[in-house]
Amino acid sequence: MEMKNNKDMHEHSNSSDMMHENHSKRAEHNKHEHDEHAEHDHSSPVEDEEISMWKKKLFWAWLFGVPVLILMFIARVFGIEVVSDTFVIILFLILGFPVVFVFGWSTIKGGFRGLFTFYFNMDSLIALGTTIAYLTGVGALLGVVQDYSGVAAAIMAIFVTGKYIESVARGRATREIMKLLELGAKKARILRNMGGKNEVEVEVDISEVQIGDIILVRPGEKIPTDGIVVRGESAVDESMVTGESMPIDKRKGSNVIGATINQDGILYVEANKIGSDTFLAHIIKLVEEAQSTKIPIQKLADKVTSYFVPAVLVLSVLTFLGWMVFNGDLSKALTSAIAVLVIACPCALGLAVPIALTVGSGMGAKKGILIRKGEAIQTMKEVRILVFDKTGTITKGKPEVVSVHSLVKEIYMLEIAASIEKLSEHPLSRAIVNKASQDGVKRFKEVKNFKVLRGRGVEGTIGKNKVIIGNTSLMNERRISVMEVENKVEEFEKLGYTTIVVSENSKVLGIIGIADALKDDSVEAINLLNSGGYRTVMITGDNERTARAIANAVGIKEVLANVLPEEKAKKVEELQKLGEGLVAFVGDGINDAPALKQANVGIAMGTGTDIAIEAGDIVLARGSLLGAVQAINLSKATFKKIRQNLFWAFAYNTLAIPLAVAGLLHPIIAEAAMALSSISVITNANLLRRKRI
Amino acid sequence: MKKAMIVIHGMHCASCASNIERSLKKIPGVRSASVSLIMKKGSVEFDESNSAGVTEDEIRNAVKRAGYEAKSITFS
Repeated sequence: MEMKNNKDMHEHSNSSDMMHENHSKRAEHNKHEHDEHAEHDHSSPVEDEEISMWKKKLFWAWLFGVPVLILMFIARVFGIEVVSDTFVIILFLILGFPVVFVFGWSTIKGGFRGLFTFYFNMDSLIALGTTIAYLTGVGALLGVVQDYSGVAAAIMAIFVTGKYIESVARGRATREIMKLLELGAKKARILRNMGGKNEVEVEVDISEVQIGDIILVRPGEKIPTDGIVVRGESAVDESMVTGESMPIDKRKGSNVIGATINQDGILYVEANKIGSDTFLAHIIKLVEEAQSTKIPIQKLADKVTSYFVPAVLVLSVLTFLGWMVFNGDLSKALTSAIAVLVIACPCALGLAVPIALTVGSGMGAKKGILIRKGEAIQTMKEVRILVFDKTGTITKGKPEVVSVHSLVKEIYMLEIAASIEKLSEHPLSRAIVNKASQDGVKRFKEVKNFKVLRGRGVEGTIGKNKVIIGNTSLMNERRISVMEVENKVEEFEKLGYTTIVVSENSKVLGIIGIADALKDDSVEAINLLNSGGYRTVMITGDNERTARAIANAVGIKEVLANVLPEEKAKKVEELQKLGEGLVAFVGDGINDAPALKQANVGIAMGTGTDIAIEAGDIVLARGSLLGAVQAINLSKATFKKIRQNLFWAFAYNTLAIPLAVAGLLHPIIAEAAMALSSISVITNANLLRRKRI
Repeated sequence: MKKAMIVIHGMHCASCASNIERSLKKIPGVRSASVSLIMKKGSVEFDESNSAGVTEDEIRNAVKRAGYEAKSITFS
């Protein structure tokens, strides 16, 4: 008995060892992905760290700065000499030193290094300005110049304050994007098979989940990774990823997206995508990449920014020399030169574009609108023509057979048709096969010489009979008379059915009407766009009549029918050549990728859990046409903010610099104005949030 | 064409970002560099055909030359 126990224990420990080893291998295997995630996890603390750093500096800088300001105020306004001048100067130098050279040390250090290495930055201006001001105190003690050392402390304290407010506002601007980065689950509860039917729940780190693992998700929990439901039923809130506000019902076989929230039932999910392959990881990558692309208008701002600092340095020296030559007052020359240094920071200019872009794309991401190329935002305002692919964009993309008209026994025709269509992957083919199965066709006939006639139909041989199935133009092409069904075909097409003719040995057997229901919000979306003054066009492989019927139902006035998939890009090009304005193409990115590329703005619709990332300039996580409308509105609103910001930043600099050169700006006022300009640009960008998209 | 993503510390103004871009573009083989002040990240695209390639050290040094710190570099 004891021996047996021992043996059991031995075996047990052995197997647990093995498990352990497995575990560590897994951990090792996933380390790479984990590292990538770790980087994301850091994003927000970095921001917080920066805020708290500036906050600390702010406190200390003002602790010493306030007495300096009070002393300056008394001396300047009341002209009262409480104590001797020399004493005040020494006090300024003592109080100012920690403000400028301790709490402002990183700025001074970075600034001077920039000066010496010719990588001038904004710190160079502040460093130079404050140092010169501080040194006037020493000069004053020697009787060379009037004392401005108090100004140094004041400038640095205001600078630090500006930086603090800026970092808080910037944190707000990146809020949505940071939230997205942190959306992923950290833990997963997976089922481990312990031999036989003995299953144990184990909570593991998300990085240890592997493809094929069965994950248990309780109500209210986050689904840890992408997968497929193998057991259980529930509704899942996917709003955080797709922007879809209604919960989606999930049952066995449904795909679920990682980071979405399980509502009311228990789900058993088999993981099928992990780490950097998940839907969420793709979205994050896309949003991050977009942040580092530059939109054309930004290039101008960047150029100006890069020449700005050296230009200001030169201007400051010229200001000093000018005052010396024409006025001869060293003190006035110095203060004017310092004012030029601190007022002319290009910071607002440099922030104007990216900050608005960040707020805009963050707002979009929250609604499932992913701006992949920032350029699209600028291009969108020129767009006048919107081209929509029909299938999967305006319609649900799930065609169903809705009507059959047969000249022979219906089940015979369906059997023939389904046997051939079974070999094709086309959605229309699948609809026919489904219909045949529903109507009781169980066995399909053997088909030889099967061939897909792209955009027209299919053909093959069953026994000795040559079967051709396709649209009427295919029948015309093969000289098969459709006389007998002509009226019926017209009737079907007027109803908006895609009509397929089935023929055997050049004789028509009957026709099949297939309809693809409109998406729920297509009508509303098209209405909004029509009233917004856009020219809306629908493009489809369907014939004119069918296409027209669907276009009428949805409210689109223009139709491009009979367009083969590969011709879509050419049609877009033709519209572009009209010169009426730029063209945007809205499609699902599956077979219309070239058209999406050709268009000035390509809007790719997500379909389920697949996302056509490479295809569009703007990608919609949710396959809703209203999303396209929102994307258009968001782009325009964001670009408007960008323009406003640039205007203010430019205007501010062009107005303030001459004032400073003329000696009309006190350095402290100049610094305060400079700090305000950056803050106002960020605040203005944050106001974009008020806009209802 | 290869790409590297850099997490950069110490940036606080727009000219910082353009300085780093300028410094990164000086690395032989680099096609384009773009730095986002707001995301505190930069990306570099470079030719793979270049026999030497662009190394992590080159990138790190370029960021340092401009006066900042590359916290992490991921190639893709």
